[in-house]
Amino acid sequence: MKLQHNLGGLEGLDSAPLDFEKRVFVQDWEKRIFGIHAAMMALSESLRGALPGYDMDAVPTAFKTIWTWADLRKGAEAMNPFAYFQFRYYEKWLGGITAYFVEKGYLTQAELDAATERYRESPGTALPSSHNEAIDQQVIRYLREGDSPRRGPATPSFAIGDRVVVGNPPTGEHTRLPGYLRGHTGVVQRVFEGNYTYLCSTGTDGLGEPMPVYIVRFEPAEIWGDVAEPNAGPLYAELYQTYLSAHTPKDGDK
Amino acid sequence: MTEQFSYSADREPASAAQVRALEALLIEKGVITETTVDKVLGYFESEMTPLNGQKIVARAWVDPEFAQLLAKDTPAAIAQLDLPEGMAGAEGEHIAAVLNEPGVHNVVICTLCSCFPWPVLGLPPYWYKDPVFRSRAAREPRVVLSELGVPLADDTEIRVWDSSGHSRWFVVPERPAGTEGWTEEQLAGLVTTESMIGVALANQPSAA
Repeated sequence: MKLQHNLGGLEGLDSAPLDFEKRVFVQDWEKRIFGIHAAMMALSESLRGALPGYDMDAVPTAFKTIWTWADLRKGAEAMNPFAYFQFRYYEKWLGGITAYFVEKGYLTQAELDAATERYRESPGTALPSSHNEAIDQQVIRYLREGDSPRRGPATPSFAIGDRVVVGNPPTGEHTRLPGYLRGHTGVVQRVFEGNYTYLCSTGTDGLGEPMPVYIVRFEPAEIWGDVAEPNAGPLYAELYQTYLSAHTPKDGDK
Repeated sequence: MTEQFSYSADREPASAAQVRALEALLIEKGVITETTVDKVLGYFESEMTPLNGQKIVARAWVDPEFAQLLAKDTPAAIAQLDLPEGMAGAEGEHIAAVLNEPGVHNVVICTLCSCFPWPVLGLPPYWYKDPVFRSRAAREPRVVLSELGVPLADDTEIRVWDSSGHSRWFVVPERPAGTEGWTEEQLAGLVTTESMIGVALANQPSAA
């Protein structure tokens, strides 16, 4: 598990001031990388199995690989943990997305370097001209219809009120299990209707196949011990079944 | 957070040139078109904005039955309103509202990344993605809310929702006093993005 998997509740940040920056983008260029990312998700090969029934064969894009949130998250989770904090949010996106296109062979580093140099010298240079309504239509259709991960009826092993223990699987390159919950005990608050798949297989971490999902209620004193806030209210997390096992008394009642 | 690291003056122009180069090459290679990025941005500037969330909250304030349905089956409630097509689209596939009430205050966070209900709130503001906020709000929400100037009684229960699964949460703040007889449109004007994530209350009538 890396530091970026375990941000919740880190000690020693009590005196760190909050940066209450309300803007979505703090530099104009950030908008462009957001737009590229959204387009990649909308054109991803992974949408062939999506519930809205996108006709990906009818979309004349040269994009022929998979790009989902999982790929973006893998990039951030693969970073040196200290470098993770060195870069602003969209700087990490720019680095991850650029590396993806080079790695997948869509463009070469030399091409990118040359083009970057051209735009450094003449920032106002227009983008190349190209029109293709079908690509843009798919992008907007994806934004309107999305990609629900719900698949099939729920097959839950736990019921509301059950006590469950959070596992500690190896994270591999990606996880949806917040680090601070590992090993802790909570109570099932809600069982979702339906099973849910994930954007990719996370290997030993356990996600990918459709499975039940729960809202689990945790008591802060059980998670944080002495450094919990006095009079703390409950913390709720939404957890995939693979991360949970039944609580047995020998695990120790805390 | 970033202040403690060196920050070259070259950093922004370099990134700006790199993203421009990337977009240009993707257009040349036929991945996207000249207009794709602008259309994405236009969608979020004109249709998927916090205005949608403001209207949902205002309806919940004037219509208790709607508020009940919103808590129980958020997508069904949202579908009753005249909002842009796409409320169940990208990052809105499984939207879930949590309602504040006397003595209960909800806060939504995402400690692993930046999950956010796009169709209801638009794109996330920077503070929501800040590692310090994500870390601190999980363990010391009362201190964080106090630093942000949210006046909560000591016995108000703070419920923290960590967006680790498929749901995209948002908060329905409490209706401010002194707004009796207000129209939904007037009420919507009191609802801020921050109040719909739980790091603020709705604005008071005097501040509107």
